[in-house]
Amino acid sequence: MVSNFSILFQKEWRENVRNFKILWIPLVFLLFGITEPLTNYYLPQILNAVGNMPEGTVFPFPEFTPEQIVMSTVSQYQFIGMLVITLGFAGIISRERKNGTATFLYVRPISYTSYVYSKLSIMCILVVGSVILGLLANLYYTNVLFGAVDVGAFVGFLGTYIVWLLFVVSIVLFTSAAFSTAIASIISLALVLFVQFIDALLGAYWTISPWKIPMYAGYVLNGSVDKKPFIWSLIITLLAIVLLIFGAVYFAKRNISKTKI
Amino acid sequence: MKTLLHMQDLTKEYGKEKAVDSLTFSLLKNTSTALIGPNGAGKTTTLSMLAGLLKQSAGTIVFDGEITEDIQKVIGFLPQYPKFYSWLTALEFTEMAAKLSGVDAKIAKQEAEKTLEFVGLGDAKNKKTGTFSGGMKQRLGLAQAIVHKPSLLLLDEPVSALDPIGRREIMNLLKELQTTTTILYSTHILNDAEEMTDQLVFLRKGKLVEQGSMQEVREKYANPMYKIYFISTEEAAKFVEISPWPARQEDSIAFIHIEEEKPVMNEVLHVLAESHLSLLKVERATASLEEIFLQVVNNGE
Repeated sequence: MVSNFSILFQKEWRENVRNFKILWIPLVFLLFGITEPLTNYYLPQILNAVGNMPEGTVFPFPEFTPEQIVMSTVSQYQFIGMLVITLGFAGIISRERKNGTATFLYVRPISYTSYVYSKLSIMCILVVGSVILGLLANLYYTNVLFGAVDVGAFVGFLGTYIVWLLFVVSIVLFTSAAFSTAIASIISLALVLFVQFIDALLGAYWTISPWKIPMYAGYVLNGSVDKKPFIWSLIITLLAIVLLIFGAVYFAKRNISKTKI
Repeated sequence: MKTLLHMQDLTKEYGKEKAVDSLTFSLLKNTSTALIGPNGAGKTTTLSMLAGLLKQSAGTIVFDGEITEDIQKVIGFLPQYPKFYSWLTALEFTEMAAKLSGVDAKIAKQEAEKTLEFVGLGDAKNKKTGTFSGGMKQRLGLAQAIVHKPSLLLLDEPVSALDPIGRREIMNLLKELQTTTTILYSTHILNDAEEMTDQLVFLRKGKLVEQGSMQEVREKYANPMYKIYFISTEEAAKFVEISPWPARQEDSIAFIHIEEEKPVMNEVLHVLAESHLSLLKVERATASLEEIFLQVVNNGE
């Protein structure tokens, strides 16, 4: 199984290097990570230069704390970033079934756990790596322009946010194993973006939910997290991740017969 | 000769439809068997079940008891339209295929190179598969199927998408493999089967309708006949009208089927001489492979 994994992972790595995903996904997160502190800091000058405002217009700009800038970046990631992840990886298993390339793998004595883990690993490396890169760039500019962020709090925030990213990655992997690419995209988007929206609208009625993890990550950064619901949310999310990965292995094997021959 | 594989009452159902219906036959070691039948006869479904891509609804597949390792390690499979990762080179792809089939990582690259050389892709080994022509893809498909030296090679219409030259080359490669490997391949072209087949298995609507060697099938279905070539369609039609034996016509050729050695050639020539029709040639012939195919698969329709 171990050797199977390394061969399959090498294939995934080559694919993502050669289709430039290894380049453009980190660039998207890096771009948002950098532009958020820069635009917030230079917004008055930008408006002054290109805003075409009448002479004498005065805008009272709020004073942002460094933590607010980091969280503002995360809110960008929560929409654009999640779109990139769900649409970029929705076909990671289903596309191979549909175009017939999976036939070549499925007729061989591969372990389906290794197969799914190789996909999971490349997704984690790309997604988590890109977000860490983007947030570190964000931290640097925030530090320079708005002041220092507590390193311990930032590490706690990053760890929490990575759990959320793993949850998203697991959803996308599971749906891709279980459904066609189009349906996997729709279900992933619904589970990641729409449920997040519902949780934000109606979430005042409950405190424990995987969709609250990004919010708790922000509280960790501010040092204002309520530990009990936070820990429970983390436990439930980690359990959901494990179940989704098991589900992905199960469906990857079950759907062999749907492979185009 | 030892049996490599025996399938008993192999069945695949999709709802109420039976794609393969109680199929029973054996494959002897180092022989080749052709699965023959029209589209929808169940050839691909049968191969897919043997390759482990589909689970049978009923029936058993039993491999030679001497094979103790994972069955998929000893199988090579070539789909009808093989698809490859376009971003991999032929060598990378074949090497990966070898490793995944259990070839030692230390020699996988070497084996992949040898196999690519064997299928005639030695010069293109470092080219990306996305740039390959149909013929090259078929060769690469064959390379990935044989790189681990399988005991059983399953080929789904291996030459049907190729031009005559490509078809000839692939058939020659398969003939070389036949000495060391058991081959089961599907085709609807009997001429291909004639070249390298020990056993023919005819399928119709998922059922086995005939089985035997090419010679056995020929003897059973290829009734002898006289083929009489006239100078025009009209002349052939006139002969069919006046023929004392049951006759039929195709363009400018008339056919008389021979039953129990009757009529003899002298009688045919006598009738032709009396008719004063303009003929080009008379020959004794047997049914073509295409005619045999039609007879076998249409039997009982």
